[in-house]
Amino acid sequence: MTDYGHELLFGTFVTPTAQAVELAVAADRDGLDLVTFQDHPYQPAFLDTWTLMAYAAARTERITLSGNVLNLPLRPPAVLARAVASLDVLSGGRVELGLGAGAFWDAIEAMGGRRLTPAQGVDALAEAIAIIRDVWDVDARERVHHDGEYYQVSGAKRGPRPAHGIGIWVGAYKPRMLALTGALADGWLPSADYLPDGIDSLPALNARIDAAAEQAGRPPSAVRRLLNVGRTSFAPTARGFLNGPPAQWVEQLTDLTRTHGITGVVLATDDPATTARFAAEVAPATREAVRKERA
Amino acid sequence: MTPEELTALAVQAEADGQERFPLDDDGDLDPWTTAVWLTARTRTIAIEPPGEIAAASPAMAAKMRESLAELGGDRGPRAIGDDALPASLADVALRPGDPGYAARRSTYMRGGKPALVLRPRTPDEVADALEVARRHRHLPFGLRSGGHGVSGRSTNDGGLILDVGAMNGIEILDERRRLIRVGPGATWKQVAAALDPYGWALGSGDYGGVGVGGLATAGGIGLLGRAYGLTVDHLRAVELVLADGTQVRAGDTEHPDLFWAVRGAGANFGVATAFEFEVDEVHEVGWAQLVLVSPDIERTLRDFGEVARKAPRDTTVFLVTGPPRQGQSVLQMYGIVDSADPDVVVERLTPFAQTGLLAQQQVVLTTYAGAMAGASDVGAEGHQGRGEPVTRSGFLPVLTDAFARDAAALIRSGQVYFFQLRHMGGAIADVAPDAMAFPHRTPEFQVTALGASREGLDRAWDRLAHHFDGLYLSFETDPRPERLHDAFPPPVLERLRTLKRQYDPTGLFRDNFPLIKDEETDR
Repeated sequence: MTDYGHELLFGTFVTPTAQAVELAVAADRDGLDLVTFQDHPYQPAFLDTWTLMAYAAARTERITLSGNVLNLPLRPPAVLARAVASLDVLSGGRVELGLGAGAFWDAIEAMGGRRLTPAQGVDALAEAIAIIRDVWDVDARERVHHDGEYYQVSGAKRGPRPAHGIGIWVGAYKPRMLALTGALADGWLPSADYLPDGIDSLPALNARIDAAAEQAGRPPSAVRRLLNVGRTSFAPTARGFLNGPPAQWVEQLTDLTRTHGITGVVLATDDPATTARFAAEVAPATREAVRKERA
Repeated sequence: MTPEELTALAVQAEADGQERFPLDDDGDLDPWTTAVWLTARTRTIAIEPPGEIAAASPAMAAKMRESLAELGGDRGPRAIGDDALPASLADVALRPGDPGYAARRSTYMRGGKPALVLRPRTPDEVADALEVARRHRHLPFGLRSGGHGVSGRSTNDGGLILDVGAMNGIEILDERRRLIRVGPGATWKQVAAALDPYGWALGSGDYGGVGVGGLATAGGIGLLGRAYGLTVDHLRAVELVLADGTQVRAGDTEHPDLFWAVRGAGANFGVATAFEFEVDEVHEVGWAQLVLVSPDIERTLRDFGEVARKAPRDTTVFLVTGPPRQGQSVLQMYGIVDSADPDVVVERLTPFAQTGLLAQQQVVLTTYAGAMAGASDVGAEGHQGRGEPVTRSGFLPVLTDAFARDAAALIRSGQVYFFQLRHMGGAIADVAPDAMAFPHRTPEFQVTALGASREGLDRAWDRLAHHFDGLYLSFETDPRPERLHDAFPPPVLERLRTLKRQYDPTGLFRDNFPLIKDEETDR
């Protein structure tokens, strides 16, 4: 049992087109906790995810928004930190920072971003997290200076002061990224489809994060574990993981929390009907089941 | 200021009718994020972030702007960002607030608030401007030469205007053949004055302040019409920039299909950048302006029809009247007799003067330039029109007694404040109806009515519909789709549609009697 004890979050993972605003509004109305947006600005059919998120935040009331995950090579950290803090202020504390090191380097380079090796990407992400936390630390006196290998910041103003403690959630799969996540992040946000053995990979990967957290002097519960799940369906009969009737989803998700410590389930869907059922028939029942088991 | 106060301020500015909400970078909130937030919380006001967007690259900054434009829709003056303009257009772009914008936002008859007016000086710049138009296909897009257009929306709200007013050159190409080359932005008054020293004239409409481009691509039913034909009848070649930016020359031997189409439906096919006309040798003419009073408008119309029908082709007289006052109609008749002989001029005009009680008359021997000179030209102050004209047009094959009766009822209906008969026939009818995309060769008159209310005018005018055969698109503002079929009878429309699909498949030129509906285009 590796339940880290966080309150459960249920959300969606949407394609960043103009339709995503309506999906966010619907998810908000349905009572979901999270709406998250993939970030591929080099894809012509997609909108700029940050602009989309800010727009959707202004059109929603209660739901929390996050990139899933934002593309660091195309988002300079000091600018990003200020933007995220600003949206957190504007939205009344409804923003989390899902962040990734970048993957599609040809496309990133074509969009004016810098090409890095995967190893360099991890180091750059570590630098970026330090800068971002520094910008958010408005109680420090001096301006932000950072003379890193990948990022140089000289005398940036701090702030604005975020409306709440913004979590940095990292998309991580490989050992060095997992170690970074354990040491520096507030959340881990992988996609089940990209895990080598699906959810069966979770114990080993969680263990890496736990170890890195402890090595950094943090409790493993400092890192919330979230999971993007795709290829799901509300089928009338049980067919497999998150393919079956809602009661089966509740059972599987309760197990996901209690056994693997996942306390954020993010459903990849652009279908409002699926989102509505997830919100109405899965989220409350799972929350209740976990509450009972934890009690 | 708290975020709530800032949002309230933007919402209030919009409610107050402001177009722009400039944001400062106060060092606190990120300007771009704030601009997006405020855009999402407002509907029409343009939230303007200060300076450059902080982004990883120019490509990312452009992506951010495009994304907001897609999400926030068409907004105020910055709906077309500076970054959207090629360098060549930087000097010729007018936006709200710019010096010179006030003179270019409206037209002679129409008030407007375009987001951007581009005034290219060369065909290359026209091509650049069309690229901007293609990239902002979601915005209204109008063409303007002199700005007198009634049917073409040569201004709009929040869209783009391509104003060819700066391309206004007039030159003599071949003195022996009386071949001239004129830019679309010249006015007919200027053309007339330039031809005057040569003893030449080119018939246009009835008002010298009208621009060349709009009229020379639609028809040109003017005061020399019966003597020399329509303006388009004199066109020998035209240079155009097509929707895709291609520059072409069309004439009898080059792109003859396009040349056919431009003469009557030009606004659907491209931006004309130069016209070549073969003009007429026209010396002194009799220029008449008569004012008549009639207690019986029906009888006067009937008599006018009869006199006009019998007039020789050297005589073209237009009639204008408004609603009767105390039972009396005041009519203005004005026209040109193509003769320098005062006796001939008087002989031609006398029957017209006898269709009512002659109250005033001014008849002079002058040149065509003299007849055009009375109009005010489009000056630096431009146009200051307001509102939206409500008009109808019809070609009248024969002015029958029944028409005179129904027209009198229309004039008395209270729905019409301006009623005009333009005298046709003569040389206009010498040209075959299939020679060009202006097929209306045999009517006796072109009839125009202006009203105050769309619904009121349409209801009154539609009662006369059976008298008409077709309409002159330049004077028609009825938005009902069947008007297109009135402007272009079936075989012409079919050919035009085929050519439209060839030359403007995406329907970029859609502002003035679009030949294909938006949903039929290859957008």
